[in-house]
Amino acid sequence: MIQQVENPALELHNVTVTYSQKPVLWNIDYTLPAGKLVGVIGPNGSGKTTMIKSIMGLIALNSGYVKIFNKNLSELRHRVSYVPQRGSVDWDFPASVLDIVLMGRLKTHNLFKRFSKEDKEIALECLKKVKMDHFIKRQISELSGGQQQRVFLARSLAQEADLYLMDEPFAGVDAATENAIIELLKEMRTQGKTILVVHHDLQTVREYFDWLLMLNTRLVASGTTEQVFTPNFLYETYGGKLSILAQVGELVKEKSHPLREKF
Amino acid sequence: MIDVQDLIDFFLLRDPNVRWVVLGIMLMSAASAVVGVFAYLRKRALVGDAVSHAILPGVCVAFLVTGIKNPWILLGGAFLSGYFSLWCINLISKHSRIKPDTAIALILSVFYGVGILLLTSIQNSGNANQSGLDKFLFGKAAALVYDDVLVFSFFGVLLILVVMLLFIPFKVMAFDRDFAQSSGLPVNALDTVLSVMTVLAITIGIQTVGVVLMAALLITPAASARYWTHNLRIMVILAAAIGAFSGILGAFVSYEWAKMPTGPWVVTFLSLIAVVSVLFGTHKGVWAKLRQLHRNRLKMLEENILKCFYHLGEQDHSFTIARSLEEIQEKRLFELRQLKKGLKRLTRKKLLLLHADKYALTDQGMEEGKRVTRIHRLWELYLTKHLHLASDHVHEDAEAIEHIITPEIERELEVHLNFPRTDPHQTPIPYK
Repeated sequence: MIQQVENPALELHNVTVTYSQKPVLWNIDYTLPAGKLVGVIGPNGSGKTTMIKSIMGLIALNSGYVKIFNKNLSELRHRVSYVPQRGSVDWDFPASVLDIVLMGRLKTHNLFKRFSKEDKEIALECLKKVKMDHFIKRQISELSGGQQQRVFLARSLAQEADLYLMDEPFAGVDAATENAIIELLKEMRTQGKTILVVHHDLQTVREYFDWLLMLNTRLVASGTTEQVFTPNFLYETYGGKLSILAQVGELVKEKSHPLREKF
Repeated sequence: MIDVQDLIDFFLLRDPNVRWVVLGIMLMSAASAVVGVFAYLRKRALVGDAVSHAILPGVCVAFLVTGIKNPWILLGGAFLSGYFSLWCINLISKHSRIKPDTAIALILSVFYGVGILLLTSIQNSGNANQSGLDKFLFGKAAALVYDDVLVFSFFGVLLILVVMLLFIPFKVMAFDRDFAQSSGLPVNALDTVLSVMTVLAITIGIQTVGVVLMAALLITPAASARYWTHNLRIMVILAAAIGAFSGILGAFVSYEWAKMPTGPWVVTFLSLIAVVSVLFGTHKGVWAKLRQLHRNRLKMLEENILKCFYHLGEQDHSFTIARSLEEIQEKRLFELRQLKKGLKRLTRKKLLLLHADKYALTDQGMEEGKRVTRIHRLWELYLTKHLHLASDHVHEDAEAIEHIITPEIERELEVHLNFPRTDPHQTPIPYK
């Protein structure tokens, strides 16, 4: 079931993405309402990270398009913020907590520009929001997993965006951090921000999210949590059997067959 | 022995020839080091090595085509083949099943092989002009002339300037490329700039140290600097300083002893600094680690002695009795030398008092012994309750953990266990 909305914050239209021939996202097509906390769930390798990366333009689409507030990403990049997986960077990098959060204040129209006083104030404000203001000068190599995640979140807040895409912000963090983060996300929602969160813990889905995307290479369901978080859709998303789609995917890879007749 | 007059002459740069060589080497080493920091942080150290080797065929082809040894032309050839090798590495690792490390090894050996082939055939061609071309192979700083130094200095300054100007974007890219791209940085353009800079640094460095040692000039300063700082800006400055300093020292050795080659000596000094950094660096240096271990051992010894005094006090219902060495040994068998050392330190810290060869706890010492005892017993209880360990399995663990628990965790333990009165062996837990 795919529930469509008017004036979406995010629209994916027939998005297909392949990795070395094998399709990882197959005709993903949905619209997301603005001002909601949206969960993305699906088994490992179901294309959740790929989806976020392709929305952010980090991975080329094989077909389809992405619209953010009805525009192309390049027109309103500053209104979108991306939080990569914590494990995707080397934390033994010579930088302090403040250094990392300041990265959210990067001016991309002027590469030579230094950070201003205002940038620093905003960064400090964001660190306060994630309760890391006592760790400003701390070396990032000395942070715990939960603290690393908070720093990533603060960097994202510093971008002052309207749409946030977060890749597993709850993975491997302590309970206190998880609570702090979800409270923050709810507060952001009341300010009208749209937040998309890749999530793993099915137990908290109902409590955390208004809207749910259920993904397994194809989009199984998109709709309010109430409507789509049902045993049927869960089974379809996580069901163990190799679906016909997956079999065709393997075949496409094996034969180097194109996914579209025309590019 | 080193002639003092030579030393003075050298470092005051009195000899104009020396002046040029030293200046050129310093700038070149500093520039390679600065560029190398980003190669190091982006985990591209090996790429630098491959590109250095891949420069040789470019030099040879440039010479074969023009027949002269103009530094600009040779460097142009070097740059092109260096950049081409980089392009090949990326192409292979992106579009084939070959993994990056294999691609690097492949490109390195193929380009270097072709380079040696060309060089040998040029040397055997009888072209009188060719002599000196082999300096690209092993480097020959002493042969630097004014023109070379001009080229060096120009590019050296250029590289350092670019890094200063684009410092923030480079930093963001080195830490988190996806994030950099997602926030709109032109990462591909910046990648190209960094690649061009790396190849340039290698191209100008090669005449001093040669293709084989060039990677050391690029990466060693960065690797050494990382042991001393957590701040990228300081790391860059430090790497530049290490590079420049080794450059001067290398130049001095070959100035003082005419037969000594400059490049290998520069690399030798770089390596020495690297060894010193690994051993004594403040960040993860071996010495810093050993000192930490030593401090831990001392802390454990002292706390164990105080705990022993406290246990004796509990036994006799008095914490002020002075104890002889024998009494302590009877309660807990310390190694005698260690015990004496610990007692001495504790007396100096005023945690123990010495009266006529006997030691007694001061008030402060008593509190400290009580604290360690309390943590030990709390931890034992925590293990039995929350890790479901049998009460005869928890002592060993508590013996070690009691020394590391901070006051904050201690408080958490107390609250979590709801201020228990006794430990799993029914011994009372002493509170403040």
